Amino acid sequence: MTKRIGVFICECGTNISDKIDINKVIEEVASLEDVVVAESAKLLCSPEGRISLEKRIKQEALTHLVVAACSPRDHQQTFMSVCKRAGMNPYLLQLVNIREQCAWITEDSARATEKAIRMIRTAISRVRYHVRLEKREIVVNSDVLVVGGGIAGIEISLMLACPDRTVYLVEKSTILGGMARRFERVFPGMDKYSEVLETKIGRVLEHQNIRVLTASDLEQIIGFYGNFEARVRCKIEGEVTRNLNVGAVVLTIGSQPSDPSGIEKYGYGEIDNVLTALEFEEMNRSGQIALCNGSLPTSVAIVHCVGREEKGYCSEVCCMYALKFARYLRERVPYAKVSLLYSEMCIPGKTYQRFCEETLGDNVKLVRSSNVRVWEKDEGKAVSYLDEGGAEQTLIVDMVILAPAIEPTSDARRIAEIAGIPLSIDGFFAEQHEKLGPVATSKEGVFIAGCAQGPKSISDTLVQADAAAGLILSSLVPGRRMEVEAETSQILESFCQGCRSCISVCSYGAITFDERMKVARVNEVICRGCGNCAASCPSGAASIRHSTCDQIYQEITEATR
Amino acid sequence: MSNSVGDETGAVRLANQGGASATLISFLKQGMDVGVFDAVLVPMRVPAGDAFAYVLIRDIALLDDACPLPPIVAVQGGKVVSRLTRLGNGDLKVVAVMRPCELRATIELAKLGQTNLSNITLVSMDCPGALALAKFIKDPEGGTEIFEKAAQDWRDEDLRPICQICHHATMISGDLHLGLLGGDENHLLLISNSEKGDEIVRRLGLTIGEKSSVRVTEVQRVTQKRLAKREEWRSEFESRVKGISNLINSLETCINCHNCMRVCPLCYCRLCYFDSENVRHPADDYIDQAMAKGSLRLPPGTLLFHLGRMTHMSLMCVSCGACEDACPASIPIAQIFSFVADKAQRTFDYVPGRCIDDALPLTVYRENELHEVDEDE
Repeated sequence: MTKRIGVFICECGTNISDKIDINKVIEEVASLEDVVVAESAKLLCSPEGRISLEKRIKQEALTHLVVAACSPRDHQQTFMSVCKRAGMNPYLLQLVNIREQCAWITEDSARATEKAIRMIRTAISRVRYHVRLEKREIVVNSDVLVVGGGIAGIEISLMLACPDRTVYLVEKSTILGGMARRFERVFPGMDKYSEVLETKIGRVLEHQNIRVLTASDLEQIIGFYGNFEARVRCKIEGEVTRNLNVGAVVLTIGSQPSDPSGIEKYGYGEIDNVLTALEFEEMNRSGQIALCNGSLPTSVAIVHCVGREEKGYCSEVCCMYALKFARYLRERVPYAKVSLLYSEMCIPGKTYQRFCEETLGDNVKLVRSSNVRVWEKDEGKAVSYLDEGGAEQTLIVDMVILAPAIEPTSDARRIAEIAGIPLSIDGFFAEQHEKLGPVATSKEGVFIAGCAQGPKSISDTLVQADAAAGLILSSLVPGRRMEVEAETSQILESFCQGCRSCISVCSYGAITFDERMKVARVNEVICRGCGNCAASCPSGAASIRHSTCDQIYQEITEATR
Repeated sequence: MSNSVGDETGAVRLANQGGASATLISFLKQGMDVGVFDAVLVPMRVPAGDAFAYVLIRDIALLDDACPLPPIVAVQGGKVVSRLTRLGNGDLKVVAVMRPCELRATIELAKLGQTNLSNITLVSMDCPGALALAKFIKDPEGGTEIFEKAAQDWRDEDLRPICQICHHATMISGDLHLGLLGGDENHLLLISNSEKGDEIVRRLGLTIGEKSSVRVTEVQRVTQKRLAKREEWRSEFESRVKGISNLINSLETCINCHNCMRVCPLCYCRLCYFDSENVRHPADDYIDQAMAKGSLRLPPGTLLFHLGRMTHMSLMCVSCGACEDACPASIPIAQIFSFVADKAQRTFDYVPGRCIDDALPLTVYRENELHEVDEDE
C-alpha cells in the first residue's frame, strides 16, 4: 500500500515559531518521499487545532502522521486520540518534540530551523516503519490484598469487602489486632479500645468476603494496578504457598518500638524497674502496677523522646500515651508521684491539649528536661537531667518508664522490595507525595496506611485506612475494563537461546521460562514495555513493539545522515 | 565450587605415572573402573595424527589414547559441554577434562543456561599454554615437540601470545584440578574444589594430604611472570589499538568471516545479530550512505560487529584464544578482547568462571557499584 504521510507543525502560539522558520521547514519536508501534506497550525492541541487535524487526516486519507510540536509527555495522548477519531491507528503517529528539544534550547534561529528539519526528517523515516498496534482490554480484578492485620488492615478490609470484592488479609502472626491489641485503653477518650477491636476482628473473621490468612508472609508481587499476582506463604499448614490474583495491594504492616538498651544512659536492661512503654502497658493490662519486689511504686518518672535525637524524628504518640500512663497510675496507685520528663510536648489538635490539662495535677507534673540519664543511687533510681536553665537536677524515683522512638518493623525493607516501593529516609514506606498522594506509593496500585508509613495515632491510622479504601473503591470498580499496554515486549522463539538474561532483568516478573522448549516467554498482560529484556538479550530475540530494530535503525540512520 | 585460586586446603598425592597425562589417565581409568563416573569427555588425537578432538569415551580401554592436555585448543571445551548437556543432561555421570580457560567458559555457560553441570564433573590442570593452531597444523610433529618442551619448564615464548599473558592458568574453579606445579618425579597433586570432587576422592579411597607449599610458590612465580608480561604488553598494545582510529586500523584486515564469533564459546546466540537480516538493507540505503560519506566499504559494519560482540561477551571473556586461532587474517583479536575484558570485568570485580555462584554482573543490581559514572561525581 502506498504511504501517505502527513506532517503537521505546531507553532505553539509563538513558542516554536519565534525561533524556528516554519515556512522553511515546510518547504524542506514537503518534497520528501511519501509526504503528501506538510502544513502548520497555530496551536494543534487546542480544540480547533485538534478538529482541523482530524479533518485533514480524513481529507487526505493519511496513512501515517508526523506531528512536530511539544513533548510527548504533554500531548502524545492528545494526538493519539485525534488519530483514533480520524479512524487512523494511533500507533501510526510519531510526535517530534521541536519545542523543548529545539526551539527552547537552540540559541541560533537558523540552526534551530536546520535542527527541526533534521528531527522531522528523522521522524518521517521512523514512522514509515510503524505498524498498527491494538490495545487490548482486560476486566480489572477488584479483589484486594491487605498485608498486615492491625487496625489499619482490619479497617480497610471491612471497608472494601463486599459480594463483588474479596479481600485477602494476610497477617504474619497467628492473631489479628496488631499493636493496638496490647493497649487497655486509648487516648484521648480513655475508652477500652480492646472491646471495639475485638468486635471488629469478629466481623472480619465472620465476613463472607474476607479471607484471613494468618501466620502468612508475602513472598512476591508481580503485575500492575488492576492485575496483580501475589504469592503468600503460610508458615503453618505445612508451608503452603498460595497465589492470589488481586487488583490492588495495601501495605499496613505497622511499626515497632525501638529497643532502648542501645542507648546506655537510660540504664534499660541494667537497672531494675526501668521499663519500656510497652512493658508498662502490659503490666497495667495484667491488672497490677508493681515494682520487681512486688510493692507499689511511690514515684514514677516517664521519660519522653527516648531515641528521638538518634532517629531524627518525633514519634508523635509518646507524649499522649505518657499522659495516658499517668492516668493509669492515678487510677491504680493514686498516691504515686508521676514526673513526665519531656523536651517538647506534642499535643496538637482539638482534644489533646485538654487531655493533657485534665491529666496534670498535684501528683502528675510536667518537667521540661534535657540530657536525661538514669542511674542507681543507694536503694533508688536517680534520674538526672538539665532543667530549662541548664542546671543539673536529680529526681529520686522507684520506677522509670521509657518512651522509645517508634521505628519501621524489621520486615519493612523486605516488603518494600517485594512490592517495589521505596522507603523514606527513616525506613518507613515512602508515600507518593506528602500532600498529593499521602496513602499512594510510587507504584500504582500499591497503597500504604497506618504506622508503616510513619508513627501515628490510632485516629490518624484510621483516617489513612479510610483514605486508602476510598481510593480503591473509586477506581477499582468491579466489572470495569482497563486497557493493557500495547507497546509490550515480544520474544521470538526461533531466536531465543534460553539464557534467561531477560528474566533476571525484568522488573515486572512478566517473563517466564518454558523448560520444555528452553525459551523465554512474555506475559503480555503483565509486561509494561520497559525494554530491559530487549537491552539484555544478545540474540535480538526480545524486542519491544513500537521500538523495533527497523524503527530505531531508520531513525538513527536519518538522524546521522 | 566455592574456592578460588590458591584457596585449596589440601591435595591428594597421586603417584606420578610418568607425566601429567599418564597420571591423569590412570586416575580416570580408576574412576571408570570403580564406577565413580560412567564416561569421560577428553581430547584425543585424531586418527590422522595431526589434530585433536573431544571424544566422549565409554570404553575404558580407549582412555589410553586420550590426551588430556593437547598442544592446541581445537574446539573449546565449553562449546563441547554445551552441546552435550544443553538440552538435558541424561543419566550418565561424565567427567569432562579440559584446560582452565575452557572450564571457566563452561561455568559461564552454565550461568546462561547453556550447559547443565548436574551430572558433569569438571576436571582441569595447570596449563602451560597452547600452541597456535596454524603453527601446529603446519608441522604437527615439530609442534608437539615444542609444546612438550614448554610444558616441561613453563617456558612459553613459543606458545600463543594470549597464553603468554594468561594469569589464570592455574586457576582452580572446577571440581578437581591436577596440579602440575608443585608436583615432583614421584607425585602429582590432585586438588578437590567441590563436594563432587570430594566425593570422587573419597570413593576412590584417596587421602587428602597437606597443602603443597611448593605449589603455592610455583603458582605465584608463574602468575607473577605472566602478569608482568601482560602489563608490559598492555602499554605497547594500547598504543597500537586504543582509540577508534587505531581500532579500525587493527581490524582492517578483517574479512567478515565471523569465525571469531563462531568459535567463541560465549557467543551462544542461535543466530548472531550481525548475521541476521537486521543488518541487511536495501541498496538505496548503502548508496545513501556512500553518498553521505563519499564512499562505503562493503559489507559495512566490520567495526560494529567486533564492538557488538565485545559488548555482549567481554564481561564473560575467559581469554581462551579460540577467536585468534580461528582468524584467517591474523588479527590479534584475542588480545584486543582480553585487554578490554580486563577493564570491563574489573569494573564489576568479576572474574568469569571463578565460581558458578558469582552472578553475571548485568543481571544483578548492587547499590555500591559504578559510582564512577554517578552524575554528581
